[in-house]
Amino acid sequence: MLEKIIELLKKADTDGWTVTDTVTEGWEFYFIRHDLDQNRVRNTEHIIVNVYKKFQDGKYLGNASGEIAPTASEKEAEKIINDLISRAVLVKNPVYTLNPKAVSECGGEIPDVKMIAKDFIEAMQEVRETETEDINSYEIFVNSCRRRFLSSEGTDVTFVYPSSMIEAVVNARKDGHEIELYRMYRSGTCAKEDLVNDLQATLKAGCDRLEAKNTPSLNTMPVVFSSDAALKIYEYFIDRMNAGYKYQGISNWEIGKPVAEDMQGDRVTVDIVRQLANSSMNFDFDGEGAPVRECTLIRDGIAQNFYGNRQFSQYLGLKESSNAYNFVVTGGSKTEEELRSGSYLELVEFSDFQVSPFNGDIAGEIRLGYYHDGGKVTVISGGSVSGSMRDYAKNMHMSLQQRQYNNFVIPAFTRLENVRITGAE
Amino acid sequence: MKAKFSEYLNSAAPSLKKLIRMLKEKYDYVSILSTDSDGFRMMVSQRSKSVTSGTMMTERGSVVRVCRDGLYSEYAFNSFDPDRIGETYDEICRQLDAQCELLKATGSKVYKTDVLDDEPLTLFAEMETGSLPEETDLSALMEKLSALSDRGMTLGEHVIDCRVIAQSTHVNKMFLTANRDLRQSYVYSEGNIGAIVMKDGHNEMSFQGVSGRKGPEIFDGFEAVLKEAVDTAEELLTAEKVVPGEYEIIASPEVSGLIAHEAFGHGVEMDMFVKNRALGKEYIDHRVGSDLVTMHEGALCAEAVASYAFDDEGTPAGDVTEIDHGILKTGICDALSAKRLGTVPTGNGKRENFEHKVYTRMTNTIFDSGTDTLEDMIASVKYGYLLKGMQSGMEDPKHWGIQCIVERGYEIKDGKLTGKVVAPLVMTGYVPDLLGSVSMCSSDREVFGCGGCGKGHKEWVKVSDGGPYLKAKARLG
Repeated sequence: MLEKIIELLKKADTDGWTVTDTVTEGWEFYFIRHDLDQNRVRNTEHIIVNVYKKFQDGKYLGNASGEIAPTASEKEAEKIINDLISRAVLVKNPVYTLNPKAVSECGGEIPDVKMIAKDFIEAMQEVRETETEDINSYEIFVNSCRRRFLSSEGTDVTFVYPSSMIEAVVNARKDGHEIELYRMYRSGTCAKEDLVNDLQATLKAGCDRLEAKNTPSLNTMPVVFSSDAALKIYEYFIDRMNAGYKYQGISNWEIGKPVAEDMQGDRVTVDIVRQLANSSMNFDFDGEGAPVRECTLIRDGIAQNFYGNRQFSQYLGLKESSNAYNFVVTGGSKTEEELRSGSYLELVEFSDFQVSPFNGDIAGEIRLGYYHDGGKVTVISGGSVSGSMRDYAKNMHMSLQQRQYNNFVIPAFTRLENVRITGAE
Repeated sequence: MKAKFSEYLNSAAPSLKKLIRMLKEKYDYVSILSTDSDGFRMMVSQRSKSVTSGTMMTERGSVVRVCRDGLYSEYAFNSFDPDRIGETYDEICRQLDAQCELLKATGSKVYKTDVLDDEPLTLFAEMETGSLPEETDLSALMEKLSALSDRGMTLGEHVIDCRVIAQSTHVNKMFLTANRDLRQSYVYSEGNIGAIVMKDGHNEMSFQGVSGRKGPEIFDGFEAVLKEAVDTAEELLTAEKVVPGEYEIIASPEVSGLIAHEAFGHGVEMDMFVKNRALGKEYIDHRVGSDLVTMHEGALCAEAVASYAFDDEGTPAGDVTEIDHGILKTGICDALSAKRLGTVPTGNGKRENFEHKVYTRMTNTIFDSGTDTLEDMIASVKYGYLLKGMQSGMEDPKHWGIQCIVERGYEIKDGKLTGKVVAPLVMTGYVPDLLGSVSMCSSDREVFGCGGCGKGHKEWVKVSDGGPYLKAKARLG
């Protein structure tokens, strides 16, 4: 089908086109406790076509995209392409150019879904459970993907990659009271040892939650983030360096200027990297056929480079740019012990911790935390955090020690001061 | 007019039925869900525009579900060739057998489930719509959206952009077994206007939406919500932070819907009962809310974006009374979970798309109306907030916590709105306490269907929710 579509596009009245063809073999296993609830196979091909048309003497370049199913007839594919062309001329965007020609043949080995799935199943069987702490259920998703990107400019790049995810729920119980904790891990293949160790720690955290008291009304407190919730804090910085956010006025950050006012604490440094060990996002080319550009987005709290798609990058006048998938946030100046000084809340589980890239507002219901007050540690649950990164970024501290969460490496511990806390008492 | 059923699915049906017959030789149960849903999504702002054919529910593909010796397995694919049924059959068997070998090699046991019922049933539903997305004049719609965006720019002092999004999907689904042939076709549409404002380097954005199981004619409704989107965004620029604490609240219909969805929408999805992940299992026929709380869930209890004729397991749509005057009566259930729990499915087995597994999912989740007026409700508040605009929520069926991120609150003191606005608000609490505190309900109600619903942090599906204004007590931060 792909060849037919390329043929049709070459004949069609366009000013450019791109095609992304993604073939996925997915194996999935769903367990209740350790008994198999269901097994699934996904065997799919998705062909996304994007056509471009210039109009008003080349002042504008419109585009429209859509999927052509592998089961489409030639007539149907031709109709879809013609519909896209007629839609593209409705899209009055200032002209820009497509990425120049790039050619790259598939280099890596095709991931073996059976072996990766086996590692996940065995890892889950290795988690040491007790009568009072155990695995409630888990879902394993393993994908072997082959993506080919072609364009009217002559680009033809192909790459293969594994993409895995496991969702696990653990229980802990005491005196007829049972709680659960939820985990979702994404990765390339199965990082068996890390997975087992993290779930072991989650079982321990489950015991803590059984003892949790309602979060006291603390008004404001320093908060130490020691889990993947901290990713949202760093995504705030990364998103606001996106060319699309900048061009559309959502981000008002400027190159060479600080990303927060009156920064008293550690200053954020973020780099884009092409490869991270076992990331599920190790792509040499972005979704528009541009080589993924490694660069520094923010250095010591000063904006350095915007990144993003071809259209918005050109509107901003960026000479080199691409979409980005793997990010490294440099560690800060503090040790874990230094970050844990004085009275503070360590928050490890939220219902859904959010940081708005739009205005920096943070929000999240606390499911598990530890209130450290003068040497006394109280396990807490309930209530919420709120406020804004616009304020919290002024006095933010990070550990030198880093930790990887799939496609992000971030400081293992992040401390924000004077965070607004709503108690549950 | 009727939403005409997919010619592609009609033409594929005989071959798919043949595949079912072949698989039935090897398996105890076989079904196929095939989909062919097309649509468009158009976005207009002052700075860029876009058009795509993809929406949350556009797809074309099939998923085979089989059962052998109590184990249910699925094979999802989108390259079906009617002339090569034998090859498809071989590939399904080869891959599923390979998975079973791996399970044997790892010593995995099976959670055995009885064979699903397959009573004969035929259904052909082409639902009414005002217009079809595939016949929409997109040029005219682009002009309409551009004009709205332009006008939005003039309605507020600090507006830097006005983004208008319109999307419409023509859904076609076909469910086949040896004895069942169900086909449905319907159109749903949704859109929103997002006004973006900036003052002194501070951004805010506010959305107003329209939605329904209707065609693109629904976008005529944008006119009525444009000004509110801009006015609200302007209000947010001067909003203060709430002093954390417990307050009397009046939830607007949109916020009531969010509470319904997170509280006893997710809280009674019965696949969670199978895993002992929902406290609701132990509270059937127990009080979970005040007498004023009655809640319905089902594809039939409203005509909204999630109103279909049958679910993704071929169970006809339903209307379940989950809470009756404060008493939890029942949950909602997919077919496999119903088999495991010894109950009946309610028409709530849904997939994100043909590639995803079925879970018990919500459709339309709605509080019943009461008899109060909003004016009387406001007058009854000593100190509290009228909550408007929903941003997001998160369920916690195991512990009955609730997280609702609400866009804004209007202060009420001594029975009167003071004009002070607080934003944003994190509303949290213990679900039975929150619903138990409901003391007044308005006589009107609204249903909202913009956006989607995840299960945990994945599996996104279309839902709608709503209700009347509700007066209650909640913690705000």
